[in-house]
Amino acid sequence: MKDLAIIETILRNRTFFFMEIRDGIDLPQKMRAMLVSSLIFFALFGAVMGSTHSLWQAMSSAVKLPVLFLATLFICAPTLYFFNILFGSSQSLTQNVTLILTAITVTAVLLLSFAPIILFFLLTTSQYQFFKLLNVAIFSISGWMGILFLSHGMRIVAADGASDESARRWVLRAWMFLYAFVGSQLAWTIRPFIGAPSIPFELFRQLGGNFYTNIFASFGEIFGFIIVQ
Amino acid sequence: MSDNQKSTTDQILDLLLDALAERQAARQPEPPVAEDQMETAVANSVAEIAEAAEQGENNEPNTLEAVADAVLAEPPLENLQPAEWEPEAEEIPAIIPEKLPSIHLEKMLYQLSAALFVLIILINIPLNRFGTNLARAMPDEQSIVVRDGLVFKGSGDEIYILEDGKKRWISSIDAFDYFGYRWSQVALVDDGFLEQFEDGRPIHVLLKCNTSPHVYVLEDGAKRWIDTITTFQIEGFVWEDVKIVNCNELRRLPDGLPIPEDAGDPPQP
Repeated sequence: MKDLAIIETILRNRTFFFMEIRDGIDLPQKMRAMLVSSLIFFALFGAVMGSTHSLWQAMSSAVKLPVLFLATLFICAPTLYFFNILFGSSQSLTQNVTLILTAITVTAVLLLSFAPIILFFLLTTSQYQFFKLLNVAIFSISGWMGILFLSHGMRIVAADGASDESARRWVLRAWMFLYAFVGSQLAWTIRPFIGAPSIPFELFRQLGGNFYTNIFASFGEIFGFIIVQ
Repeated sequence: MSDNQKSTTDQILDLLLDALAERQAARQPEPPVAEDQMETAVANSVAEIAEAAEQGENNEPNTLEAVADAVLAEPPLENLQPAEWEPEAEEIPAIIPEKLPSIHLEKMLYQLSAALFVLIILINIPLNRFGTNLARAMPDEQSIVVRDGLVFKGSGDEIYILEDGKKRWISSIDAFDYFGYRWSQVALVDDGFLEQFEDGRPIHVLLKCNTSPHVYVLEDGAKRWIDTITTFQIEGFVWEDVKIVNCNELRRLPDGLPIPEDAGDPPQP
């Protein structure tokens, strides 16, 4: 429970928190606490998502969702770090990773706060496409809030006057798109997280298609002009 | 000047300084004003106040507050231009904010997490022998993901599996079991939905063992001998569907009618 205390600091004393990151105060402790908290929250949300299909799917999603976010972090963190360096930043890689972890932790907490909503719809409807899109919407909102936190944090941590402010902003914006793109592609690769009805549990589904066309097709099926292939 | 007059000026200046200090505090997040502009503004304000005070002595009795208000009503600082102002800089506080007192959010998060964990377990507990649980108890419509491997049936008894965009009829219960399909997988669809798919090869269980040239089809729990290659082809069987099994297991299966039925006694593998 001690590790969860960091959530309050992030949510209520964010400026203070970011300034500590800027000054390099207790970074390993912060990273550990955020890692533990986000792992728990992602696992719980994953289990709720997977419960629509089967117990196996619930367990699988409880593992896969934390892996998804952490893998995206480790894939994208070096890009942000080196581009920041290129544009004059003096932040360390640890500071960068801590900042991204902050964004991920915020996303995880928000997802946890949405979990009762998902549970409610899980118990009151079983329309697969609706449920899938509901989850996509929740992930988008939570992810966006996390990214806003990252942007805020970057501004504070990088406010040392050494880096080119305008270039740094563009780097961050470009990196956000990259992060979202890598995250969605990785999610597509290690799917399913919810598990389609009428298909038995599978740990990984065969590749094919992509995240965006599938979302489009789901909208199509809900509005009745397309069948999901 | 008398002592009394000096003290009035001092009081006016004190008031002015207080007011300036308040305004400066209120403007904390705003852009910094150039130092030389600030000095000029302060000097101008002091001169104006002194002038106003003198007028107050000569004419009507103005209170000190009225004099200060009159000067501050249109503060010259409003007209000053910020020095190298960038819009995003306003979000970076100049002073470290005071840490807000704890509301013990971690307790609430812990309770929420624990409650969710319990709920996840509860909704996944099977309620009957078919494994139905709360999470999947809603009997309403389920979307079908149309892809290879979809097992489905219309209003008739035939069960099909979708492969390469074609529906393949699963020819027997033995074939259904042999290939590991489960009844819970079978999606009920409209006949119109079935008709949109072209028929593919039916799915049979064709068995053969290594030491024997004979091929059998498994139906109703019995093996039916296919007498010749010609019959094999006429019936629409293909070699890719033939499964090689252990000869002893094949021998253990009871014999059914051969194909064709007048082919005579079936040989043992």
